[in-house]
Amino acid sequence: MIETTSDHVIRVSGLTKTYPGSSRPAVDHLNLEVIRGRIFGLLGPNGAGKTTTISILCTLLRPDSGRVEVLGQAVLEKAREIRRSIGLVPQEIALYPTLTIRENLSYFARVLGVEKKRITERIGACLDLVGLAEVAGRRIDRCSGGMKRRANLAVGILHEPQILLLDEPTVGIDAQSRNLILEQLRELNRQGMTLLYTTHYMREAEDICDEIAIIDVGKVVALGTPGQLIESNETCENLEDLFLALTGKALRE
Amino acid sequence: MHLLTHINKELLLLSRDRAGLLVLFVMPVLLVLVLTLVQDNVFRATGEATTRALFVNLDEGVLGTELKQGLGSTGVLELVEGFSGETIDLEKARQLVSRGNYQFAIIVPADFSVAIAAAAETAARAALRGDDMAFKPGVLTIYFDPAVRGVYRTAVSSSVQRGVLGVAMARRSEAVMRLLSQDLQESIDQQLQPYGAAGLVHIELPELAEGWLAQPLIELAEESAAPQKFPTMPTSVQQNVPAWALFGMFFIVIPLAGTIIRERQDCTLTRLLTMPVSISGLLGGKVFAYLLICLLQFVLMLLVGRYLMPLLGTPQLDMGSAPLALVLVAVSSALAACGYGMLVGVLARSFDQAAIFGSVSVVIAAALGGVMVPVYMMPQAMQTISIISPLGWGLEAFLDIFVRGGDLSSVLPQVLILNGFFLLCMLFAALVFQRWRHGA
Repeated sequence: MIETTSDHVIRVSGLTKTYPGSSRPAVDHLNLEVIRGRIFGLLGPNGAGKTTTISILCTLLRPDSGRVEVLGQAVLEKAREIRRSIGLVPQEIALYPTLTIRENLSYFARVLGVEKKRITERIGACLDLVGLAEVAGRRIDRCSGGMKRRANLAVGILHEPQILLLDEPTVGIDAQSRNLILEQLRELNRQGMTLLYTTHYMREAEDICDEIAIIDVGKVVALGTPGQLIESNETCENLEDLFLALTGKALRE
Repeated sequence: MHLLTHINKELLLLSRDRAGLLVLFVMPVLLVLVLTLVQDNVFRATGEATTRALFVNLDEGVLGTELKQGLGSTGVLELVEGFSGETIDLEKARQLVSRGNYQFAIIVPADFSVAIAAAAETAARAALRGDDMAFKPGVLTIYFDPAVRGVYRTAVSSSVQRGVLGVAMARRSEAVMRLLSQDLQESIDQQLQPYGAAGLVHIELPELAEGWLAQPLIELAEESAAPQKFPTMPTSVQQNVPAWALFGMFFIVIPLAGTIIRERQDCTLTRLLTMPVSISGLLGGKVFAYLLICLLQFVLMLLVGRYLMPLLGTPQLDMGSAPLALVLVAVSSALAACGYGMLVGVLARSFDQAAIFGSVSVVIAAALGGVMVPVYMMPQAMQTISIISPLGWGLEAFLDIFVRGGDLSSVLPQVLILNGFFLLCMLFAALVFQRWRHGA
């Protein structure tokens, strides 16, 4: 784990990334700062650059230019150390479908370097947190969508990361499951975990995030607390109005 | 109408999967080409196709040369008398055949002409005069590569037998005619002397003794060219069990490639790549798990050959006399299979692609490597291409141990090639994983 005393656990400056074959950058001179202990929402329409930014933060993509620091370490130079200190909850259910929830957690706990003597304890704690303790022996491919999402979240927090990156963690599930997951995220945040969170659900972001950045075509177009953002535009009553006002109503990719 | 809509949709989907289409069309074409070509010589075995065999003529008389002409005229054998510009002696011939450079060597002994002449004379005397029929036939020895399959060995032996029969009959007839004319002359002389009158002469032609052709003048002795410490005659079990075990081991390609593709598709690989895990650990985990499966599969096949097949009436599998070499070849072959599986896994874009490409390419490699038809029976061009088949390298090493009495030193070249292939595949897979990790 990386030890840092800095308040800013994520610093992104001038980040640019263009995919091979694409005429425009997915992320274009993006600047962001995430403060320790906050829930930071990254909102934007499809193709705005949210997933690209998360991929770079979790060392899965190399930026073309700009500086990206996680816990005070540059992602290009200290990728291995950063991987130990962050947790990722990808948009997809990244679990082995034919293994049980517990088997998946057990495997990923070992990969994440959780101490052998703490593995059982950590699996138990994560299962309790996401409410899957009673169905831990069920195969992933026999779980409901909501259960899969919660198991997906459990894997991301097994090693008690300092930062949890969540890429649309509530997509495609019912309201009950979504509420449960949001409650679990709040609980993790109360325990001191910093969350960087992308979503398409404006109400959800409004409820849970301490700070929000709205990005479009790879650039930050608005930044602040949900209240500040809504107040910044007199015609907007909520975050969704602001979002549409800033990013337009035209259909995206 | 709906049917047309569905057909249109399916064709559209297919047209978008160019790599899939390539696999669907190119692989069967390759399969047909390769299998037809490798079997070409087998189907022509009774026709114009020739087998190259060493011919060592140690005979001081003319019979060796006559025999060479006789064997050559059968059209089945192409006799070779030199290797790399040198004349071949007995020991060299044995070495070349035992190493698999040639599958057969025909050895004409030094006293062959003398022995056959004596045998023909004895046979003729026995036939015409009732003398003792016992004679010692001339022995023509055929060294054969123990890896040669029984049917092929029999076919070549029959061809040699045909060639030998002509020479033997000629010698036997000559001897009988010579002796017959001597006997006639003697008979006439004896009958003319006391009476002095031509018309009273009665010539009685001697009748040929029954069975005068029963004993052959020339005997064929088939002898394995393997070292004396491993004199057992190879059986179909010895040759087929390692071949098909190896074929089975390479089918690990499909499940192994499948796991990589599934991990890519369900994003578990993406998740793993964001975790503090080394690529060598990821790849190593897969290789060791599937290596274990391959080896279990191999052991099962050996047990079948050893204990089950004898119950079905076949000879028992003899595992050779070099257990360490056997383990080394099995592990190296399994590693090569796993390496190939990793290669297919990182190159294929879908499970379907991996399954079709993996299975067809293994069948092609098996055909080229001599699993279905021995390499020496393929046309020359295919024999040249066959050196690229990992199954061929493994099979050669297994046959060395199972039928040629080979040991660690004799299988070392194949072991090195198999491991080199494995390392190359793994290096390529590691580079691709590295590329995935950094989203290039």
